[in-house]
Amino acid sequence: MTVNELIKKVFFIEILQGLALTLKHLFKPAVTIQYPAERKEPFAGSRGLHALVRDSGTGREKCVGCGLCAAMCPSQCIHIYTSEGDDHKKVVDRYEIEVLRCVYCAFCVEACPYGAIVLTDHFEYSGYSREEFYYTKERLLENWDKYMAGNKGKEYLERFWRPRAVDFATPAPAKKEERAKQ
Amino acid sequence: MNNSNSDNNPAIATKELTLNMGPQHPATHGVLRLVLDLNGETIVKCTPYVGYLHRGVEKLAENRNYMQILPLTDRLDYISAMSNNLGYCVAVEKLFDIELPERTEYIRTIVGELSRIVNHLLWLATHALDIGAMTVFLYCFREREKILDLFERLCGARLTVSYPRIGGLKNDVDAQWLEDLYAFTDEFPMRVEQYETLINKNRIWLRRTKGIGVISAEEAINWGLSGPTLRGSGVPYDVRKVTSYGVYDKVKWEVCTGKNGDIYDRYRVRMDEFGQSTSIIRQCIEQIPQGPIMADAPKFTLPAKDKVLTDMEHLIHHFVLITKGPQTAPEGELYVSTEVPKGELGFFFVSDGTGKPYRMRVRSPSFVHVSALPRLCEGEFVADIIANIGSIDIVLGECDR
Ligand code: SF4
Ligand code: SF4
Repeated sequence: MTVNELIKKVFFIEILQGLALTLKHLFKPAVTIQYPAERKEPFAGSRGLHALVRDSGTGREKCVGCGLCAAMCPSQCIHIYTSEGDDHKKVVDRYEIEVLRCVYCAFCVEACPYGAIVLTDHFEYSGYSREEFYYTKERLLENWDKYMAGNKGKEYLERFWRPRAVDFATPAPAKKEERAKQ
Repeated sequence: MNNSNSDNNPAIATKELTLNMGPQHPATHGVLRLVLDLNGETIVKCTPYVGYLHRGVEKLAENRNYMQILPLTDRLDYISAMSNNLGYCVAVEKLFDIELPERTEYIRTIVGELSRIVNHLLWLATHALDIGAMTVFLYCFREREKILDLFERLCGARLTVSYPRIGGLKNDVDAQWLEDLYAFTDEFPMRVEQYETLINKNRIWLRRTKGIGVISAEEAINWGLSGPTLRGSGVPYDVRKVTSYGVYDKVKWEVCTGKNGDIYDRYRVRMDEFGQSTSIIRQCIEQIPQGPIMADAPKFTLPAKDKVLTDMEHLIHHFVLITKGPQTAPEGELYVSTEVPKGELGFFFVSDGTGKPYRMRVRSPSFVHVSALPRLCEGEFVADIIANIGSIDIVLGECDR
């Protein structure tokens, strides 16, 4: 053991270095958020509670009851019951999502050919019974009014209802200069 | 190491004590149960029992089509869900023989390496906490949070991301995201230095990790170890180098290895991988080309939404693909492995040509590593078990599946 090492050992140099680091952090602003009091806004497109899109024209759901979302759902938690309406049109009688079984993969959004279902960014929901998590068509439409009000819903579908033709487009020439500036 | 007192005094009988550790034990990183036969403080025999987190992922997969299996893979190793998704997609793409666009490969490499950093941060945090260093735990979570935020911006979820798709990705990255990620890689090496200041030379850390849980290179190979656990013993084996996926052949990086195969070396390998991953991400961001993100494989990928809305053919195709799964899967068997943060994750498919796999088997690194735990622990002290479990980096979700 060299003298240097001995000094380091006797005076706890490496421990002091660590303590100096933690001491420095003591005077820095905290990085944590005091959750119930302070809240962090979820980012756009966060995958939370579902909502059924309300057609602004008719005021009813956009869903036509094709059942693709139910077929795609990996946890099979979407239940759709339809019947024949007056003019032989398909009517969605019940549209129910068992939210407790959902894994929030957003495959239902991807599967829907009509843009009739979205995942909102609302994630803080709780309840005392299972029934509260059994979302019916009416409650899902309410979710749309509550969490996707205004332009938000339209923007959501524009950005996150995928895939789009541009995703398959042929490659454009690489924009090297864009990256080079970094 | 028999208690010398009782050895001298034949009137006091001694026998081995059987101790049950787990399944509910914070330091077993999940629900691992170990039955320990102890002689004083020394472990005579260690028997791991797994299966407390068994959810039947492999069986579930037989009843889902190839697209629907993806969220199941999130829940294997829930700490690095992104890597599992990638591993699954790479395997299925090999099965279907899909050629990926270049941009997709770059983005996949970036998110794969981010996932490696997330995993190693969580590993370092909990490993250090197990051994007694609380501060590292908090500092690691600070950086992990930043990456999880990036994940959330990218795909809407923090942990169970389900981001890649067969033949592509859920959505493209935007320039701002790449810019922010680049800024993160600027400051991250400094953070790693901070962790190292805290524990690298700390005498308690060294005493707890150096020369403990030693496994030689040959034995490590024989036990089937992989990933940093294998590289800690000095075997430069990395699936990213030996097979081709992502753009690992287009960026400069090295395989990090240790020498002694003890807990400290395994720790060093993972710490070095922080640097390698950061450098891979930076190079990828610098080189990433413009272009499509979905492969041109209409039989296996969902058609574009704009086409579905306007074109009958695409709409029919959309319906068939979702209700029945990809109908033209080739028949046969295939094993494909990728390097996830914990080691080698392999998917084995038996395909009968329908939209669902006839059998899907997952070769998970955690399961293999747990099997080597008795070899690492026996003959050492009880306290070293915790350090050993930490050093092989297991997650029981992946082990039990
Ligand atoms: S998010 Fe996924 S699991 Fe939940 S309802 Fe939609 S498809 Fe099913
Ligand atoms: S896929 Fe869309 S339109 Fe079809 S049932 Fe589901 S929500 Fe309704």
